[in-house]
Amino acid sequence: MTRSSTRRAIVFATLAALATAPAWSQADKPLRIGFSMARTGMLAMATPSQMNTYELWREQVNAKGGMDVGGTKRKVEFVTYDDQSKPEQAVRIYEKLITDDKVDLLLAPWGTPFHISIAPVLEKYKFPMIGNTAASVALRQVKPGYIWFPTSAIPDRIGAELTAMLKANGVKSVAVLSNVLPFTKEIKNALEPELKKAGIAITVSSEYPPDIKDMTPVLTQIKSANVDAVLALAYPGDSVLYAKQAKELGVNAPFQFIAIGPTDAFFPKAVGAASADDVVSIAHWAPRADWKGSQAFYDAYVKKFGEDPDFLNSALAWMSLEILEQAVAKNGLDKEKIRAYVSSTTFDTINGKVKFDGVQNSITPTAFVQYQKGKLQIVWPASIATGKYEPKKGW
Amino acid sequence: MSLLETLLSGQFLFAALVTGSLYALIALGLNLVYGTMRMLNVAHGDVVMLGAYGAYGAFALLGVSPIVAAPFVAALGGLVGYGLYRGVFRRLLASSTPASAGRLEANSLLLFFGLSILVQNIAALAFTPNTRSVASLSDVWHLGNVAMTGNRLVSLVVAGTTCIGVAWFLSRNIAGLAMRAVIERREAAFIVGVDVDRVQRTSFVLGFASAALAGALVSMLEQFSPFSGFPFTIAGFIVIILGGLGNVKAGLLAALLLGAIETYGVALTSANLRSVLLYGSFVGALLLFPNGLFARRAARR
Repeated sequence: MTRSSTRRAIVFATLAALATAPAWSQADKPLRIGFSMARTGMLAMATPSQMNTYELWREQVNAKGGMDVGGTKRKVEFVTYDDQSKPEQAVRIYEKLITDDKVDLLLAPWGTPFHISIAPVLEKYKFPMIGNTAASVALRQVKPGYIWFPTSAIPDRIGAELTAMLKANGVKSVAVLSNVLPFTKEIKNALEPELKKAGIAITVSSEYPPDIKDMTPVLTQIKSANVDAVLALAYPGDSVLYAKQAKELGVNAPFQFIAIGPTDAFFPKAVGAASADDVVSIAHWAPRADWKGSQAFYDAYVKKFGEDPDFLNSALAWMSLEILEQAVAKNGLDKEKIRAYVSSTTFDTINGKVKFDGVQNSITPTAFVQYQKGKLQIVWPASIATGKYEPKKGW
Repeated sequence: MSLLETLLSGQFLFAALVTGSLYALIALGLNLVYGTMRMLNVAHGDVVMLGAYGAYGAFALLGVSPIVAAPFVAALGGLVGYGLYRGVFRRLLASSTPASAGRLEANSLLLFFGLSILVQNIAALAFTPNTRSVASLSDVWHLGNVAMTGNRLVSLVVAGTTCIGVAWFLSRNIAGLAMRAVIERREAAFIVGVDVDRVQRTSFVLGFASAALAGALVSMLEQFSPFSGFPFTIAGFIVIILGGLGNVKAGLLAALLLGAIETYGVALTSANLRSVLLYGSFVGALLLFPNGLFARRAARR
């Protein structure tokens, strides 16, 4: 026998052995859960808080013996691809996950455009998926059925609630500073009419591009306007720039709101704990005694990753996993039953009760958090607050 | 704010200088490498990014401030430049004849482009795509009515002195003069006995070291991720096109001009027009002064 024919014989023998091996029973086979995530590209920096949450969940579920699938426990295995921060890539990946990889369940990718792009794929294959890190008024245009959005941080509701919070705290004049990217632009468009309606003066209103490197010109203008509140509708990158330069130039309005960024653990590290204190931001979660599992989730995340979870994105990701777990425990892997169940059931999550009305969460209120002595506390609305709003005393 | 107030504001002058000096430092290395070897280093911004990670690492692991780590980061960058030159580019350059020089320029562009993508993705794997930033020297200082954080002031001083130092080196030091000779008349320099290989090696080392140094400064000023190198490359390109390719000193002036255009332009119009201002002046300069704004010498050639 030559060497190559020996090798061929071995390969055939192995294949034959595999083919005749007794079929594994369902319970031994791992449950395969697929999703795409931006691991490279311009959004990659935003995804770790969500990805970490998925990892933590898989670890915990497998440590308990697996995910409960209609009464049988099955170990969880992830099938995941990099979507390179491109929504069209995510569309192809979800098609592949469903038709080629034949995964058992799907988790959400990161970000609004990705959720919206894959919604038709889910519809086409009648494959239910609980969304998480998506927030836009455009979500309401998504056809209800196979996708749900647990967030309550929808721009128009943020506009109304933020105005109410400003009014309750005696703010008479504001400066609005907005990144032109979609989410913050939507907030601005919703917020400014609400402010006018409430009689709060918009003394400065300015926009800037995402690649801004220096805010000296606009912050100088805001400083000389001497307003009660600065509403910095910023994304993670520019949220740090704003905080650093507001400190440099002494923009000392007592109410400091920064839209996205402060809820992620990198923020206090990047600007310094003292600067982060008393900054208000968007999130509707914080560990609370009456939200079962919220403290345990927080502790487990900190233990595994050595930093705080993102109070918005990590919490949303975890909520979506909790909802999926409850739905699958009850219905097994029957897609239609899962769909019907998720659409009609009230779920218990680390963010309290969640019930979907169409694609939207109809229970969780739109809320704001504030750093207080290095910890994020919900300060608005009073119904779920864990702390009381404090005006910011300088950077 | 009135036009006059804007133009006379010390705060804006400071902002323009900080931006401009950083641009100058980044463009400096890009220009040296292009000048001596006619190779456009598209991965230059990624060296800046790696420098930022170097300073971040020193801060996170050893507790060393970026400003203390900066010389070491620069030295490390220079070492990488040296290795890359010896390993890859010396052979490429040695095999090039005047006839194949054009092809080398194109090839090096592709090579650096590939290197850039490689570096970004390896950095994303090694450091995770999380954004980083170092909170160092963030106390606010007041000089007259100008407020400045320590890190921006330090950045201005370090970038400024480095650029002035290199300009001095190029016009006074014998090795610097040799480098300028290679930049301006490569063949002639070779004929009169300049060690072209050594000059190229030096400019590669200087180019990478200055980029890494800029990275250490960036780590204090803004947030960075494995993908934040490219905008620096672009800024560097605009500066050296404005100043004239290979013309190092004009590049320094062009960088300050660009910093001023950015700061005052945004102050007088809107932050939304930042890119329009930057690229507009770039395109305008290309149309009106194709050899650079300060191209007196080049025109006489």
